[in-house]
Amino acid sequence: MEAESTSAKPFEGSGASKPVDILTTQASVFYANLQPVLLLSTIFLSFKTLVKDPVSTLTGLAPPLALVQAIYCVVCLPSSGQAPTQAHKPGQKRKAQKAGQHLWAKITPAFVSTVLTTTLSAPVLYIVVVLFGAPLVSHHPHTFLLALHLALLTTPQLYYVHGLDPTTWLQIASLQVPIDETYGMSLGACVGAWLGAIPIPLDWDRDWQRWPVTVVTGLYIGAVVGKIAGGYVFKGWKIKLS
Amino acid sequence: MEDGAPRKSAVDEVKAQNHRLATQFKARHVYTVTFFCLILVFHVLALYLFCSGFLLSRLVLQDRSECGVPPTDLNTRYTSGSIEKGCWYPKVFDKAVIILVDALRYDFTVPFQPLPGDKQPHYFHNALPVLYETSVQSPNNAFLRPFIADPPTSTLQRLKGLMTGTLPTFIDIGSNFAGTAIDEDNLIEQLYKSGKKVAHLGDDTWHSLFPGYFEPNLTRPFDSFNVWDLHTLDNGVNEHLFPLLEPEMTNKWDVLIGHYLGVDHAGHRYGPDHPEMAAKLRQMDGIFRRVVDMLDESTLLVVMGDHGMDIKGDHGGESDEEVEAALWMYSKRPVFGSQLGHPIEPPPTAKERAVSQIDLVPTLAFLLGLPVPFNNLGQPIPEAFLGTRLSDTPDDAYGSLVDINKLTAWQIWRYQMQYNKARGIEHSATSAPSKRFTTANDEYANYLDDRVGGRHDHVARLYAAYQAENLRICRDLWARFDLVSMSMGITALIGTFALLAIYAQAIKIDRAAITPALLRYGAAGTAGGALLGAVVGSLPSLSLLQLSIFGAVTGGVTATAAGFWPERKMLALPLPSTFWGGLCFLVTLMLCGGFAANSFTIWEDEQLLFILVTFGVLLLGSSLGRPEREDRVLGAIHALSFIVATRLSSLSRLCREEQMPNCRSSYYASATSSTSAAWQLVIPFAVLAVLPSVIASVYARTKNYQGSAVVWIGYALRIGLLMVAGFWVLDVADDGSWFSHIAKETLKTSRVLVAQMVLALAFAAGYATYVMAAPLVDVKQEDVAATEPPAPKALDPDDANGPIFTPLTNGNSTKPKRRIIILGYANMYGTRYLLLPCVWILALQLVQKPMGQGTLALCMISILNVLEIVDANDLRQSSVGPIVLALLGSFYFFKTGHQAALSTIQWESAFIPLKTIRYPWSPLLVVLNSYGAQILCAIAVPAIAVWKVNPKEPGLLGQIAGSMATHILFYAAIATATVVESAWLRRHLMLYRVFMPRMLVAITVLVLVEFVGALVGLVGVRWAVGSVGEVFGWAEE
Repeated sequence: MEAESTSAKPFEGSGASKPVDILTTQASVFYANLQPVLLLSTIFLSFKTLVKDPVSTLTGLAPPLALVQAIYCVVCLPSSGQAPTQAHKPGQKRKAQKAGQHLWAKITPAFVSTVLTTTLSAPVLYIVVVLFGAPLVSHHPHTFLLALHLALLTTPQLYYVHGLDPTTWLQIASLQVPIDETYGMSLGACVGAWLGAIPIPLDWDRDWQRWPVTVVTGLYIGAVVGKIAGGYVFKGWKIKLS
Repeated sequence: MEDGAPRKSAVDEVKAQNHRLATQFKARHVYTVTFFCLILVFHVLALYLFCSGFLLSRLVLQDRSECGVPPTDLNTRYTSGSIEKGCWYPKVFDKAVIILVDALRYDFTVPFQPLPGDKQPHYFHNALPVLYETSVQSPNNAFLRPFIADPPTSTLQRLKGLMTGTLPTFIDIGSNFAGTAIDEDNLIEQLYKSGKKVAHLGDDTWHSLFPGYFEPNLTRPFDSFNVWDLHTLDNGVNEHLFPLLEPEMTNKWDVLIGHYLGVDHAGHRYGPDHPEMAAKLRQMDGIFRRVVDMLDESTLLVVMGDHGMDIKGDHGGESDEEVEAALWMYSKRPVFGSQLGHPIEPPPTAKERAVSQIDLVPTLAFLLGLPVPFNNLGQPIPEAFLGTRLSDTPDDAYGSLVDINKLTAWQIWRYQMQYNKARGIEHSATSAPSKRFTTANDEYANYLDDRVGGRHDHVARLYAAYQAENLRICRDLWARFDLVSMSMGITALIGTFALLAIYAQAIKIDRAAITPALLRYGAAGTAGGALLGAVVGSLPSLSLLQLSIFGAVTGGVTATAAGFWPERKMLALPLPSTFWGGLCFLVTLMLCGGFAANSFTIWEDEQLLFILVTFGVLLLGSSLGRPEREDRVLGAIHALSFIVATRLSSLSRLCREEQMPNCRSSYYASATSSTSAAWQLVIPFAVLAVLPSVIASVYARTKNYQGSAVVWIGYALRIGLLMVAGFWVLDVADDGSWFSHIAKETLKTSRVLVAQMVLALAFAAGYATYVMAAPLVDVKQEDVAATEPPAPKALDPDDANGPIFTPLTNGNSTKPKRRIIILGYANMYGTRYLLLPCVWILALQLVQKPMGQGTLALCMISILNVLEIVDANDLRQSSVGPIVLALLGSFYFFKTGHQAALSTIQWESAFIPLKTIRYPWSPLLVVLNSYGAQILCAIAVPAIAVWKVNPKEPGLLGQIAGSMATHILFYAAIATATVVESAWLRRHLMLYRVFMPRMLVAITVLVLVEFVGALVGLVGVRWAVGSVGEVFGWAEE
């Protein structure tokens, strides 16, 4: 993918003209760094069982992954419509009651994001994965679990940050959103999954070439790489399609 | 109001200007087409150089074995030289009946063996029991053995091997259409020279191989290629075979050869697992029983297959099922026997106790008392000699086999010495075959000294071991590549690729303007280089032809490249600079690299699906990001349609053998069939209902569904597609014998007639429509309200989706009472040109099987999608359009029932509009069938550059040439990559199975696409631009 740093031509009236900064609280910074470690260690530690029994492994991994992503949203990301919280300086004390309200205001959108991810993104991505050549008549659980994991790694953070504004989602679909940690993670996950499909046809007769092990592995690695690259290297860049 | 004179001169000036522009366009058009032809010439010459070094060649020795000159003497145990008694050894039979059953696979002849996962017998099992029965019941009268062919498994190559005893070289494979006479020592010639009368019945390939050797009044050749016909040839052979076996006729011939094709044709047409195959095999069973009954004691009966067939019934490659044929010998006298330690029953599978097909040559030669042909490499089949007894060794079943093996070994030795001499190779006494030969000769001497029983089979096996080792060495040796010629070819190919890349991607100014100069440089360079090469090549020990060709290509490429020099400031590096360019580059690079791995080559169809959907999804995203709502909606809808069409057509699969068991074929009725299922007949009618309407809707959206478009798309195309559907109904009806009361011949005649009418409609009426059609616009007059401003609104040249109603003022603008509206002005060139692919699609649909028609229609729809997406995203200048079309062409090659494997060529498509082979039409039809998708996509390429383009857009021709060059560049990249990779992997196990077939597909597609792109696509541009220019004035170049 070629990307060019542009002098951000802002889309009028949309919240997606600027890259999203993660919250600056200590917990946020800590968890933002912990999340890649969690994701990588998940795929690394469960790789053997994933190869042996993809369906039950992916089923088992889905709820923790959803939780990891939801916590990421709550702890690290500004919710849609909410300006990045610069209000609190680190170390400033807040009132307990307010903090509780505040937390609740964040958990609700995170929950909604997760629900949307499983009910909307996952089926849509299932269709996309099948269009890319996934088996049409067999391996339905495998493909659906792949779509679910793909959805969980690509969309919750975007729902959480951008809400459901159609203009923003058109921009997201057309790669017009400036790259940041969340978008980088989504793009990285897609590219990783794409690359993960390449070793499948090789005649090495390895167990790990089984559907959808390589794609899932590529997906996790891609998400982590994309997140780091989007958050540090390409932050603020925009992909120029034409 | 001006006065008359200046106005008139202004009109004249406009006219003169218009005339000048027309002449300029026509001249540049001719130059551009010629330039593409020059590139085609470069490619053809480069590929010739490569192939002449890569496709294996063997030196053919002209020596003949002679009756009186055995390779070694047998210590006066037998006096050689008598044709009556046997040339080198006492003969066993006076006469022979040789029956060749084309594609008689070994498992057709043995009882069904249940396997895990294959527990029920198929139609082809147990239908031909006579060979096995006789071999078990009277093993001294008959034996049955697997008979392994040397690939390629085409009949012509097999006959050559069966009669000369030599190994095939790849270069002959293409000559299955037109065989050429064998000019080396062979059995037929030996029979003829020794005065034996050979009669031949059946497949006429024999006559092109052995012209003039058969008894003219006993011989009945039949056309071998009509694979739709199962019975005419076989019945013809029967009709003439049995009378010749009557006792009063047997003195008229010495050897009778019958070649049945019914089994092969049943395989090609229905596949092995079909009732027709069972019926055919039962018919063969009856024929053999009858021949056995009529045979006399002095006659040998041989029944054999020349090759097998794959699970679909096709052959040509080197899979196990294709090479495993059967051999059965029968005699009324008990002269055969089995080897020590072997069971009496024939092997249950072809994997055990197999003999090689070339082994037939020495076997037949000794059985009939002929000298072994000089170039033979086969070894005598032991079973044929183990019952034969010489008078002086009555107890020794192996006695004659020892002598025969010794004679054969010495003949092979003599041949090797001669071959080494001719090639200038030093003889090595320490090589493995030499050592084995010496050991065998030493043991033979011992054996003669003491004549101890039990040693004989040992000596016979030592000679056999020498023969086997020698054969192994020869197989390696004749995979001898001419590296010099290959390197020249690769160099020329890479040079041409670089040239094309600069032309397609690096030029920043109007391509058409500098093409004439390039052409002049190139032509001069080609001629000069050829001359220089010829001068150098005329030196002794250098090849004149090779160097002239190499000189021509390198001279031409260098000179053309030099032609860029004056414009060097206008060149950029031909590397991608945009997202889409980068993606095209990356994808092409990945595909090219993938062809170095057999897995990626085998699974190319799935990768192309993956890549095309990737493009589709990204184009969908890109469309969604367009600022104009109209672009967004149009682009998104067409991108979605593109993705769905691609995935839908991916359901049409024809699996190659290597994809098993991870692939299920859907192209034919079943995996073991090559006929369409009855339900697939719905597809042609669905195409008829959908395709013309879809095309018409695209025309209608820009108000171009007018005039000739209505005539062709609305009526002619529909009628044509209806006839195509009718043709395939008749075909399936014939296959399934639906109308049993109508004679087969009537069905066939009417079917062929319908097909010919479709072709006439497409190429005569279609081309006439295309050439004559006026621009597809309509002119409307409209009253203009007096308040409206009189000045015409100019069309924004950058906005192809701008107003499609373009108001033009009627003459002088001082009276703006009425105005003319040109409906369809915005897409005049595009729709006018697109008529050409619409003409070709009809002919291409006809030659596809029903499933292929469905996918090819989806291909056409995808092409329309690409045109609209490219326009909606304003990517006309990008390489994405031409590259996606090239990917589509490659993808739909697979989806129309093909693979990069010889056995998937649909030969029967030659008989769609013809009853017999007619040159050059039959091969052309097979090409149209095989590469229909690539042809269609190549013809569609100019449409990208002209789709919804402003009719006054300058430099149009240059952009069309750029698109076409980019399109060709993709195929050139694939061809160059596969050529380099096949050369690199020339010792790879999978060379003949995977890499070489893919390379052959790549180079034929490249040449074909260049040919079609230049002479159909670019030439067709002439009329599209011309018709618009004649009416609306010519655009600036």
